[in-house]
Amino acid sequence: MFLSTVVKYISLTWEMTKLSILSAMEYRVSFFVQVFGMFVNDIAFIVMWLIFFQKFPSINGWQFQDTVMLFALTTVNFAIVMIFARGAFELSRTIARGELDYYLSFPKNVLWHVLVSKTEISAIGDLLFGLIIFFFSGNISLEKIGLFVVIGILTALIFLNFIIITQSITFYVGNFEEAAEQMFHALLGFAFYPQTAFYGALKIVMLTIIPAFFITTLPVQLIQKFNLQLFLILIGFWIFTTIIATVIFKRGLRRYESGNLINVKM
Amino acid sequence: MSEVKILQNGSGLIWYKFLKYFEIAKVNYFNSATYFVNLISRSAMVVIRIWIFTQLYKVSYSIAGVSEIGGLTVAMVIWNLMMTQSFQTATKPQLSKLIDEEVKSGTLAYSVNRPYSYILFHFSGFVGRSVPNLLINLFIGSLVAFVLVGPIGLSWEALAFGVILFFFGYILDFFVSLIIGLTAFWVEDTSAFTWIYSKGQLVFGGLILPIALFPDYLQKIAELLPFSQMYYSAARLIVHFELSLFLQYFATQLVWILFFGLVAYYLFNKGIKHVSVNGG
Repeated sequence: MFLSTVVKYISLTWEMTKLSILSAMEYRVSFFVQVFGMFVNDIAFIVMWLIFFQKFPSINGWQFQDTVMLFALTTVNFAIVMIFARGAFELSRTIARGELDYYLSFPKNVLWHVLVSKTEISAIGDLLFGLIIFFFSGNISLEKIGLFVVIGILTALIFLNFIIITQSITFYVGNFEEAAEQMFHALLGFAFYPQTAFYGALKIVMLTIIPAFFITTLPVQLIQKFNLQLFLILIGFWIFTTIIATVIFKRGLRRYESGNLINVKM
Repeated sequence: MSEVKILQNGSGLIWYKFLKYFEIAKVNYFNSATYFVNLISRSAMVVIRIWIFTQLYKVSYSIAGVSEIGGLTVAMVIWNLMMTQSFQTATKPQLSKLIDEEVKSGTLAYSVNRPYSYILFHFSGFVGRSVPNLLINLFIGSLVAFVLVGPIGLSWEALAFGVILFFFGYILDFFVSLIIGLTAFWVEDTSAFTWIYSKGQLVFGGLILPIALFPDYLQKIAELLPFSQMYYSAARLIVHFELSLFLQYFATQLVWILFFGLVAYYLFNKGIKHVSVNGG
């Protein structure tokens, strides 16, 4: 029963996303400009770190190839969220403006419906970029490819949970849109740097308020050198954040007040 | 003196015009300063970034076994990055996006009919909006840099010449953002240009890696590009003053301002011909 529901939701998510992409492809030039633009945009990051590692070849054992793997993973998990659940970034605004009413009238899960309501087309560029540079991140084996796929999806789900948690705070405090956005940027910000450079209190921040450790440091470590215990910790953290995200959203929804807004969706 | 007399007098007219744009800047200043939580949350990002940079460069310098690279110590690198980041984040929300929206929504048609120069109107808004962000970023950023790496020696001439470079860097950023926004006359979506522009700033604008730390050949190229002349040049001069460097940066800035200013002016005049007002 539970499994068949999950499968149904996954296939529905796929259909919704497919529709969004197809409708965006109607504007062919804009579609390709966005995808290609994002691809070029991502190349810039790699160029910058290439320059950095010419000056400092190794940061506590972290080398340029590790950064390539870091970018491959981050762009892929970010792209998965942006392609399939772009609506998560609109959650705070939707709540604050009382626009959840629209989703409440449907028979499907409200949170799921908000998440899949939008697709970021440019994220297809991110996805392509991440998949391509993965093959430049050192010795690639079949095992590594499998790990990359599994961990990429797992970290995308943790990423999504973090966004749902921060955006849902709006239910409790009124307006949290800008703060939630900044927290998201802070999380993404950690993903740019050699992970071995961090120590002390900053490391504690990465493990708690802004859990970048579980989205960047640990996953890259796992793909480079698999360790079952660490993998179970990652799965445990995913389950933990899923429970928190669900509880915060569900409790928040009970406090939600309609905006009494009349909207026509075309 | 009555308004008519002020206008009849030549210098009075210029003053009157200046006052108009000053008022526009003031409105934008208060509009931006009102949202204090937003200002603070943006500054929080600057704090986290400086914290990350401090750890990254302390570790990098100690592994390389050097105390100075390209004339910069770790403390200078951090102060340099703090300023570059503060200057750059102060310009948010992006001007190119505002112009892009005006072009697409058609509100530009109403703006161009009003008794002010469209370009000067946006420049005043750009400056006014940025001031509260800039002040709070610099205040919090300096505090954090002071705690993390201690003070650096600052001279009055470094500050004075740095401010000049900063002001002209602002004009340069304004023109490029204006050009990107104006391309909305011809292309459906300008966001790809915005990304590429911001990444140009990221790589060659010294936002994460100061250009002084680049390999020599790349440093020479980067210093000639417009990206480094927006905010990096001012920050670099303030942390370590050299008159010859000021002259080099200032000359590069002027050339780029002239170039982008002319392009912006040309595109604006060409684009405005596409505007048609259909009642309403």
